[in-house]
Amino acid sequence: MATTSYDAIIVGAGHNGLTTGCYLARAGLRTLIVEKNDWIGGAAVSRSLQDGWTYSNCSYVCSLLRREIVRDLELPRFGLQVIPYEGGATFTKDGDYFAYLSDHNALRREIARHSPRDVDAYDRFAQTVMRQCRFIRPFLLRNAPDPTSLHPRDLGELAFLVKKAHGLGAKELGETIRFWTMSIGDFLDEHFESDLIKAHLAGSGIIGTGLGVYSPGTAYVLLHHYMGDVDGTIGAWGFARGGMGAISNALGMSFEEAGGEIRKGAGIERFKVTAGKVTGVALENGDEFDAPIVASNMDIKRTFLHHVDRAEVPDDFHRAVERFKIRGSSAKINIALDAMPDIPAAPADASFLRGDMHCSTSLAELERGYDDWKAGRWSAEPYFDLLIPSQIDPTMAPPGKHMMTVFVQYAPYDLEVDGVRSGENWTDTHREALAHCVYDKMEQMMPDIRQRIVHAEVRTPLDIEREVGLTEGNIFQGELTFDQLLFNRPVPGYSDYTTPVSGLFMVGSSSHPGGGVMAAPGANAAREILRRNGKSKAMQGYAA
Amino acid sequence: MSTDFDAIVIGAGHNGLVAAGELARAGKRVCVVERADVPGGMARNVTSGDGVTAPQIAHLLYNLAPDISRTLGVETRSLPTIGLSPDGRHVLLQAGDLRFADGEAHPEAAVFAVLHDRLTRFAALLGQLSDAPPPKLMEGLAGALSGLRDIGGLAKLGLNLKRMGKAEMREFLRILLSNSYDVLLDELNDGPVAGVLAADAVRGAWSGPRSPGSVFSLIYRLGQGGDVRLPMGGMGAVMAALEKSAVDSGAALRYGSGVASVDIEGDRVTGVTLEDGSKVRGRAVLSSLGAAQTMLLAGPSHYDIETVRRLRNVRSKGTVGKLNLVLKAVPDIPGLTDAQRGARLVVAPSASYVEAAFNPVKYGELSAEPVLEVIIPTLTDPSLCDDGRHVMSVNCQFLPHVPKDGWTEAARGTAQNRIMATLGHYMPGLADHVLQAELLTPADIETLTGAPGGHWHHAELSIDQLLTVRPVNGLSRYAFGVQGYYLCGASAHPGGDVTGQPGRNAARQLLRDGVLS
Amino acid sequence: MSVAHVPLGLIPGPFHDRLLALSRTQNWVDWAGYLSPGVLDTAEFEYFAIRNQATLFDISPMHKYRITGPDSEAMLNRLVTRSVAKIGDGRVGYVMWCDEEGMLIDDGTLFRTTSQDFRLCCQEPMYSWLLDAAWGFDVEITDESHTVAGLSLQGPTSWSVLKDAGIDVSDLKPFDWREVEDGLWVSRTGFTGDLGYEIWVPWAGATDIWDRIWTAGRMWGLRAIGYEALHLARLEAGFIAAGLDFQPVHAAMRLHRGRTPIELGFGKMVHFDKGHFNGRRALLKQRETGPRFMLVKLDVGGFKPAQGALIYHRKRREVGHVTSGVWSPTAKRNIALAELKAPFGVTRTSDLWAEIYVNEEGRWNRRMVPVTIEDKPFFMNKRARATPPGAF
Repeated sequence: MATTSYDAIIVGAGHNGLTTGCYLARAGLRTLIVEKNDWIGGAAVSRSLQDGWTYSNCSYVCSLLRREIVRDLELPRFGLQVIPYEGGATFTKDGDYFAYLSDHNALRREIARHSPRDVDAYDRFAQTVMRQCRFIRPFLLRNAPDPTSLHPRDLGELAFLVKKAHGLGAKELGETIRFWTMSIGDFLDEHFESDLIKAHLAGSGIIGTGLGVYSPGTAYVLLHHYMGDVDGTIGAWGFARGGMGAISNALGMSFEEAGGEIRKGAGIERFKVTAGKVTGVALENGDEFDAPIVASNMDIKRTFLHHVDRAEVPDDFHRAVERFKIRGSSAKINIALDAMPDIPAAPADASFLRGDMHCSTSLAELERGYDDWKAGRWSAEPYFDLLIPSQIDPTMAPPGKHMMTVFVQYAPYDLEVDGVRSGENWTDTHREALAHCVYDKMEQMMPDIRQRIVHAEVRTPLDIEREVGLTEGNIFQGELTFDQLLFNRPVPGYSDYTTPVSGLFMVGSSSHPGGGVMAAPGANAAREILRRNGKSKAMQGYAA
Repeated sequence: MSTDFDAIVIGAGHNGLVAAGELARAGKRVCVVERADVPGGMARNVTSGDGVTAPQIAHLLYNLAPDISRTLGVETRSLPTIGLSPDGRHVLLQAGDLRFADGEAHPEAAVFAVLHDRLTRFAALLGQLSDAPPPKLMEGLAGALSGLRDIGGLAKLGLNLKRMGKAEMREFLRILLSNSYDVLLDELNDGPVAGVLAADAVRGAWSGPRSPGSVFSLIYRLGQGGDVRLPMGGMGAVMAALEKSAVDSGAALRYGSGVASVDIEGDRVTGVTLEDGSKVRGRAVLSSLGAAQTMLLAGPSHYDIETVRRLRNVRSKGTVGKLNLVLKAVPDIPGLTDAQRGARLVVAPSASYVEAAFNPVKYGELSAEPVLEVIIPTLTDPSLCDDGRHVMSVNCQFLPHVPKDGWTEAARGTAQNRIMATLGHYMPGLADHVLQAELLTPADIETLTGAPGGHWHHAELSIDQLLTVRPVNGLSRYAFGVQGYYLCGASAHPGGDVTGQPGRNAARQLLRDGVLS
Repeated sequence: MSVAHVPLGLIPGPFHDRLLALSRTQNWVDWAGYLSPGVLDTAEFEYFAIRNQATLFDISPMHKYRITGPDSEAMLNRLVTRSVAKIGDGRVGYVMWCDEEGMLIDDGTLFRTTSQDFRLCCQEPMYSWLLDAAWGFDVEITDESHTVAGLSLQGPTSWSVLKDAGIDVSDLKPFDWREVEDGLWVSRTGFTGDLGYEIWVPWAGATDIWDRIWTAGRMWGLRAIGYEALHLARLEAGFIAAGLDFQPVHAAMRLHRGRTPIELGFGKMVHFDKGHFNGRRALLKQRETGPRFMLVKLDVGGFKPAQGALIYHRKRREVGHVTSGVWSPTAKRNIALAELKAPFGVTRTSDLWAEIYVNEEGRWNRRMVPVTIEDKPFFMNKRARATPPGAF
């Protein structure tokens, strides 16, 4: 079998792998990306499973993608268009709703409709969250500061943190510490009296996590969903025209134009390691490629528990990888609709229907959903984040017809059946039952939803794991709890994208600053890879 | 200015008494004012008319500061912990030693020893922070700028962190912010050993083992090595000794009337007005009540609006009920020897069990199967009752502070029945031994002691209410807004349990601040 | 259930029908979600009507709160920096209130009926802050923002207009207020520094009072005006505006952008001796350490408005910037409010320069002009204070 050599090989063509690839290729490295699927994009894909419809099968909306990276890699030139959407709403059982209107004056009126007290409270809430966003955003494209290290570079990061923190003042720093460590439920309870408004805002604190709204640390998760922007509007979300695959495709084209090479249908068998140093990759199909630099876009568990020889890493590290928490907590349903569903509560063609819609109306309901998940069941009354992007994006469905994307929480990976919890327990019957549980809840706002369905793709955490390769189908490649953030992510001592295997780097969302279609881990890792190979100067652009 | 006292201490709970003793020993004229006729707060004894004494609420010392403990002269006995298992294979834990109650080796003994050792080492590290006021954030940052090591101002801690080595230090920082469920189950099976530790992690807390931050509370409890000690004569004896120590140093006691208000002139305290209308003048006032109550005694008009809002938002939802039983005899506990019944018995067969018990309290409901900590002090300490009857003292979790429909007779009955039923699994026939039963709900505990929400720690020991933000941001260093006013209770740093540290730290801070000089 | 969907965009206020009929420009601005006139006719004519005749301006979008109950005075005393006890019954006081760090949240007018009944009128929404401030006090807070309408009648003939409308306020001294008819309150207050009144009526049916005043005003040159004209007049009078001359700290995203009353030149409004009030401890500290900034009134050299100009010391060192700057048509001076970084504006007050950029038909010119700090408002006229006022 012939072996081919490259300067760098990246395993996995997810958005982070592609991003790393782009920066490396632009720095002049001969770079290969190998991808197990016949398409690129990982969890940022657009696929057509029903004639005429396009699904954003996994991730479905865009905000976190760093603008520095978009600009550096010229993604708009490669077809990426991000269109912001307006507002969102939560629908109640009795035919009312809370609309999260983008027009601030109208939003104040809408809040007043539910609670006059909460009107100003909302402004205070938004102000606090924005302040925290402004605090955290500069850290996203930097290495995480490591307080245990005396390395000058880490000290530099630490000094940056201290400088930023110092700018806050003592009182605000105290508030920041509180915010970062408290639960979204407590945070909202401190601000609002309306259960409905609290429930609407709480969703961002739990999406993708194995935590409940009253778990400490979920206020940070909310921040994680607010710290992005669309065209500078912090906290705004948008659709990628053509679905989330448009991001991956643009990255792919940018990569190839820079001279990179992508091999699809090329799943990895193992990382080749000799004497503690990576030498290349061996694929499932028997091909082997050599490179002194290899980067894994897979999560750290998949990388080290499945594809690196156990003997090549120290016990401590292996143990740390084993206990890194990556928990499946969400499912996804993608639906082709023959028409826009009837939403009797809302005014016809209301702008907020183009945003994220929900039916969970209290924090207690959300928390009970979490209790179900802890016990290995999907939530009896699931929370969902539902959007119909075809209202804005004409490429997603045939004219007059619609595409609906439904993110469902909580659904366990290790489903409990007869006292045994395992991902293997998921059957078609369970898949179907989960979907119907979601449809039942959706009828709260869309009574005719079942009649509108032409085709539905139901993806359990197990399905996501199998197709995309994300352990347990976790969307963040690892829980966003504070023991797994910053210098602890993914493993204490290895937050700088390196691993105990020399030349092997972690570029996926398991690394700082974590998950979401942000591309920051990929860019940060590229910077680190180039720096460690004496090419600091080759990293060009705003993410340098 | 002529005043009656240098300092007035509100509340003769253990922290109030420790603060009074500390000040009196520094030569200050101190008066302790207490609403009840007896000292002790949550750590009182209760004596029934017919010769049985029982610890009313708190029943064990987990965490009393050693220097305070040494001076008291109260005899204490270390109790082993036994985790009761539904299959009768109970586990016996003493310090780092783990075995089955029948003496057989436990397969997890080695793992447990390592885990215990690590947690207690971390606890010792953290314990150093308890002896001083919490770090000042800005000073800490200034220090950090020069030293670049001590984020958050943990200067002293930082030094020791350096000594412990990088890997251990990282593990400490990781684990501190983690949740006890994961930390325990990374090492242990989800059985009674993990259950006992998970229960200890959330004892007194409005949190389950899966809640991030619950490792901190486990480590907090291990601050003095994790030894669980039973005071001879009950907790009341400890309180009596604390009181005596204060009085011997010259402190005056004024019991039987609570404080109606703290008097203030020109942003400075001048004394207190009692509920009976009389006034006591003093240059400083220390309150061992909850933080919000302390603010209310001075009046919200003396505080900034943000401060009042923060104080209102302090989370203090008590979750522990207390069931005190008088037994005609100690029942058999299958799987334990007679002597082992004197241990601290924990009903928490797994960490999942503890988490499941926590779930309902979030919705104002009772645990279906509660987590229990049981002691029969009369087996170790006959002074409490010497006529053959016994006292069984049971901490029960999780009981809501107030259930959705209030503490109706029916709700109390349900709570008691569930506790008795759970105990009954391990002590068949217990019900037949019961002569008297008294259930104290968190609401009862609040009424009896004034502890906000009936919460053991006056304020939840969660990361967002610790150190520099305990009890609230801006009031963490005992000085409580108005000049000369200090918080010395459990809602101040480092927090709850019978430790004496908030009281001692507050008194020392008052002396340092120069208010009395 | 049937849901009352909220309207999007700007909505009409209580006088909108009347304003719409008068608007020749269709120039509306967003004021707290209401359609508020920027200009109805021309800003220049509207401005001169303020200084020469009488003008009506709809101030209904202001936020209005009623504070009632036994602890009202105590609660407000803890809220605002000045002593509320010193505001007499039937009097109005200009008040400021701060956060815990002493940073200004907002300023406004406090109308005192008795020690147990007040009304507070301000620019920023304050309902939840007032509720927080009221916690622990025996008071009730009512949000009257959408139930009480307000009209500002300002200008030298405003007393005459009211008189002809059958409203006798001859004895009303500056900062007096009272209920002159059932459901009709008049205060001698305003935002122009000239003679003027503010009229308060229930929101529903508010057009009645408009019509009554409008009819009476025909003989006195009464005009309706928009925001732009008022902006000129308020700057002449030396009044500060939220969002321009200071950033209301609750709305400020960036930390340290808040300013204390001392830094805004209102140190005399801070009554340290009245007991605790919000921010007192922080302000005491600042009284010792000195302000970080100082907002000053400037006479700007030259004839070009200095809006947005940077201020330099000795033409070299940048020491501040203009927060509002206009040409004053009445004072015939180039005037501005500017924020200077201490010690400039505090102890160092000379050799200050404004850097003004002027675009002359496609070409930018940079001018350094001298500026002088002024103590007094740029517009002052005895007619504003005379009681009873003159006819014009």
